[in-house]
Amino acid sequence: MTLPQTRYATTVTAVGEQVPEFAGQGLLIWFAEGAPEELHFFAVLHRPTVTTGGVRAGDVVRIDDKAFRVTAVGEVANDNMVNLGHMDLKANGATEAPLPGDICLEELPLPEPRPGTELVIEGDAAAADAHR
Amino acid sequence: MAEYKAVRVEAGRGGWGGPLTIKPTDDRKLIYSVTGGGIHPVAQRIAELTGGEAFDGFKSSAPFDKIAVAVIDCGGTARVGVYPMKKVPTVDVHATSPAGPLAMFIKEDIFVSGVAPENVKEA
Repeated sequence: MTLPQTRYATTVTAVGEQVPEFAGQGLLIWFAEGAPEELHFFAVLHRPTVTTGGVRAGDVVRIDDKAFRVTAVGEVANDNMVNLGHMDLKANGATEAPLPGDICLEELPLPEPRPGTELVIEGDAAAADAHR
Repeated sequence: MAEYKAVRVEAGRGGWGGPLTIKPTDDRKLIYSVTGGGIHPVAQRIAELTGGEAFDGFKSSAPFDKIAVAVIDCGGTARVGVYPMKKVPTVDVHATSPAGPLAMFIKEDIFVSGVAPENVKEA
């Protein structure tokens, strides 16, 4: 039997002006509140409550009522997520992350987050990324 | 008036771009670290060798025209383009190449990647 584990959970506090355009291209850039102001225009800002990390392929990212299977995770993505609340979510279906910061998701339309939107990443507790 | 020295920053293993020569001035003296876990060792080394002021971009904010160099630990999409877009010399400690929505701003004369402390030398 496997137990689901919450690897990350957060609530959106603000959305930059470029976010809808990037979402339409299958990209959502996230930073925790407190990120430098120059990063706000293209970022979803948020306030995390769970920052365990260890995200890996096969996990599920939920953005409100939409769910996306994780298809690949770049080698620095977990560090960025845990240290800075930073995620590059790309709905490209890639099975190998093209860039080291990528968290690749199945190729489905991404929602436009709004203040109050909740993101949760869940996975199998036994299968957390061994590097963490 | 403080005395500042120049450093040469070269691409490290698997890196791209550069080399960049960084020399702070009284107006642009900040070695701006936009990295997880505080001031990155690469930013610390640039600050020590140049006499610039190491600054944690996640603790407080600074105007772009005060920044001598931005040091980032970007995974290739977001921060890699923001500082070059603002004409701020940019050092990524990860070995990234131009990519992401701001890739058109990432050029060899303003961006260098894969940089470890040993890739920062007195000019």
